[in-house]
Amino acid sequence: MNNSMIRVILGHIMKIEAAFLLLPCIIALIYREPEGWTYLAVALCSAAAGVLLGLKKPEDKNLFLKEGCVTTALGWILMSIIGALPFYFTGEIPKFVDACFETVSGFTTTGSSILNDIESLSHASLFWRSGTHWIGGMGVLVFLLSIVSLSGGSTINLMKAESPGPSVGKLVPKIKASARYLYLIYAAMTLAEVVLLAVGGCPVFDSITLAFGTAGTGGFAIRGDSLAGYSPYVQWVVTVFMIMFGINFNVYYLILIRHIKDAVKIEEVRYYLFIILTAIIIIFINVRNLFDSAGEAIRHVAFQVASIITTTGFATVDFDRWDTTAKYVLLMLMFIGACAGSTGGGIKVSRLVIIVKTILKELNSYIHPRSIKKILYDGKPAEHVMIRSVNVFMATYILIFASSILLISFEGEDLVTTITAVITTINNIGPGLNKLGPTCNFSFLSSFSKVILMFDMLAGRLELFPLVMLFHPRLLKELVIPKKRGR
Amino acid sequence: MFGNNKTQKSGMSIIIVGCGKAGSALVERLSGEGHDITIIDRDDAKIQAVTNMYDVMGVVGNGASYSVQVEAGIDSADLFIAVTDSDELNLLCCTVAKREGKCVTIARVHTPEYSKEAPFLKDKLGLQMIINPEYEAAKVMSRTLSLPMAEEVSSFAHGQVEMIKIRITEGNTLDGMKIMDLGRDVTSNVVICAVEREGEVHIPSGQFILRGGDHISFVATRKDARGFLSKIGLKWAPIKDALIVGGGKDAYYLADLLLRAGIQVSIIERDVAKCENLSIMLPKAVIINDDGTNEEVLKEAGLETTQAFIPLTGIDEENIILSMYAKQVSQAKVITRISRNNFGSIVHNLDLGSVFFPKFIMSEAIVAYVRARQNSMDCNIETLYHIFGSRAEAIEFIVENETAVTGRKLSELKLKNNLRIAFIRRHNNIIFPGGDDEIRVGDTVMVVTANTGFRDIQDILQ
Repeated sequence: MNNSMIRVILGHIMKIEAAFLLLPCIIALIYREPEGWTYLAVALCSAAAGVLLGLKKPEDKNLFLKEGCVTTALGWILMSIIGALPFYFTGEIPKFVDACFETVSGFTTTGSSILNDIESLSHASLFWRSGTHWIGGMGVLVFLLSIVSLSGGSTINLMKAESPGPSVGKLVPKIKASARYLYLIYAAMTLAEVVLLAVGGCPVFDSITLAFGTAGTGGFAIRGDSLAGYSPYVQWVVTVFMIMFGINFNVYYLILIRHIKDAVKIEEVRYYLFIILTAIIIIFINVRNLFDSAGEAIRHVAFQVASIITTTGFATVDFDRWDTTAKYVLLMLMFIGACAGSTGGGIKVSRLVIIVKTILKELNSYIHPRSIKKILYDGKPAEHVMIRSVNVFMATYILIFASSILLISFEGEDLVTTITAVITTINNIGPGLNKLGPTCNFSFLSSFSKVILMFDMLAGRLELFPLVMLFHPRLLKELVIPKKRGR
Repeated sequence: MFGNNKTQKSGMSIIIVGCGKAGSALVERLSGEGHDITIIDRDDAKIQAVTNMYDVMGVVGNGASYSVQVEAGIDSADLFIAVTDSDELNLLCCTVAKREGKCVTIARVHTPEYSKEAPFLKDKLGLQMIINPEYEAAKVMSRTLSLPMAEEVSSFAHGQVEMIKIRITEGNTLDGMKIMDLGRDVTSNVVICAVEREGEVHIPSGQFILRGGDHISFVATRKDARGFLSKIGLKWAPIKDALIVGGGKDAYYLADLLLRAGIQVSIIERDVAKCENLSIMLPKAVIINDDGTNEEVLKEAGLETTQAFIPLTGIDEENIILSMYAKQVSQAKVITRISRNNFGSIVHNLDLGSVFFPKFIMSEAIVAYVRARQNSMDCNIETLYHIFGSRAEAIEFIVENETAVTGRKLSELKLKNNLRIAFIRRHNNIIFPGGDDEIRVGDTVMVVTANTGFRDIQDILQ
């Protein structure tokens, strides 16, 4: 286990976070808020710690998959703890567990909140809160790879550990260039949304925080009623952008280099859009009568469907009041999630497509036991390794899911609340149902439950294995006890 | 904060077809030089293995297929290299690529039949380079055999100058001598360019003192080299016969070269069909159909009395064992060829005679070409060798234009550290330069340096 390389990368992460922490300071300056000093202090400490960690250069710069996973998991935990400090030290979130919960919810782009009164937060904290969505959406390690030249080609293992999807690839041969393209597309789209929102009458600060929340498919809004109070124009813009951020970023790269035909051929996106359309239709029929006009109904249904499937978690209505069918469709969308290679959470459409194809292949083998049928994905044969990893992912997911529900059940709440608490965190959505519905928050839960849910949020965002690996006894030993390198 | 910001010249866009030993070695060399590399192979596992180790992109598919090439980016590629095991496939890949893109194509062709027609193929199929690694390896081996006391022999200036690597024994004339005293005490027609001591490579200045146990690389003409070697007590007698184990392509090329040089060759090969083929292609050689890993067979073939022994079984481990055995039972000059670099560090501790790693021969030629191409300034690289593993490089530059290094005395130029100008070739004369000599347009200059990555003669300046 290359501990020194892990240490150096953690140092880089702390430096990057320090740089980002300076932005709320600027916001505090604009709005003349004293909280800015806390942000400055935390930023400086983080930068100092980061520099300290990076002092001794590692001799071996190789990063294998296990180092990639461990670095990602530890990095995210570290990043969350540091990010929670401003909330805690400004007194805006008095309990440290709560501050961590909010920060983890931010970075993992979940969007579940423990805040009772969101609007009482300073502008700096609101900015930082939404900002964590932006960083966590595309990933802090991907950001690192785009700015620092970490030598050695094995740094792809960092991206593999952090980026979602059954198989992570590059857009272009060099990983630094590939990471840069991703962030460029990401930033450009965010900016486009800010502009479109502001032009439509939305205040600039709101536009920026909304765009952060959309881009990372997070879900933190700066108003207590989420997006219910904004104009229909704003709600439509956010709907469209949510769907866009849930699309595989490979598509955008292909469009950028003008290979439009290839972009259109990507299977996953077709199924994604199809699912969205079907869900909207079903729910619309179901809840049409709850609204005054068809137009209003379509707007709210489309918004909610887009918000849930991309695992953003914004809300324009209290969908907990909808019929069971509508709520159930939303629950299913929570599991399905967005496309791989996007900022969305959930199981991912591509995995679902592979699972369905695997089921069809299995059924086929009952009809023709000796037939050979290779599963094709995007026209190319899906390698056995990938199919196996999708199946194992599902099994692990179910295990973690079931265990978490058991642990949360100790709260003594009703079944729907308990189950949706886990569904919404492991899929990084935000709102659940019943006591955790879109108009409620997570403050009443015990600290124990909050810790479990934080684990679920991180597990969901990092796609289970990097986090679970941290608990493997042999890995822990390798990490803690440095092995003596031979001569 | 953001790592070392070495501004690298923008790299070329390279596609490599074939992810076997040769392809991986090529990727290893080229990926470190800042190029955008995409590899194509049919085998997904091989692609995964390479993309996990090096910063390159992989495409699974048939490299000769147009659609696969398009997926790999043939439209914007500068260089297309086909190094699969099949000559036919390589030539087909390059032909398709040449039609499709605007790139330069290089193919590996190693069967003797096609190899003989290399100039024709190059011309008609528009290839920039045809490389035959087995033939190049055979040339290196036969050069080493021509100077049996040397560990390695490389040739420069179209064969006029050789760089020879030898080991100084304790108590030798050179043991304890300062480099600058060499000209006075031994001979002045020899330039010692590099010394390896305990794993470190030094480019020695005049004050450097040689010690027993050092491996030194020096440059001289062939005649002067022989004189120098005999002056320091390394006598040589020409090799008259050689025993080769294994009858593959590399054995064929080596045997062919040795036979032309008048050396008697015996080849031991297990496979009957191969033996028959060899006896047709090499009528003057003795072909023995038997198992060369058997001690009795080797003794019968004359291992104990032969003057050169080269195991080329194709399996590294077998070659190593055979070499060790030969060293024990005979006085022969042994050459061990190790194709996979897996245990390179252990190998240096074993007594295996001259060890060499052929997988880098091909990449050296291509790296030389790539570096020369990247240079829009008109200075070319004639040859490039990696010496002492890849810790130092010996490069021959052709100076075609006036640059910052021409027209000034060498003593006036501010040269980088760890660098030596070994010789200058001007109008077919070899000059071993002193401080008053200068580089002129039309010269070929050979530089030995521990700094890697030189692309241009001007890289020698600070």
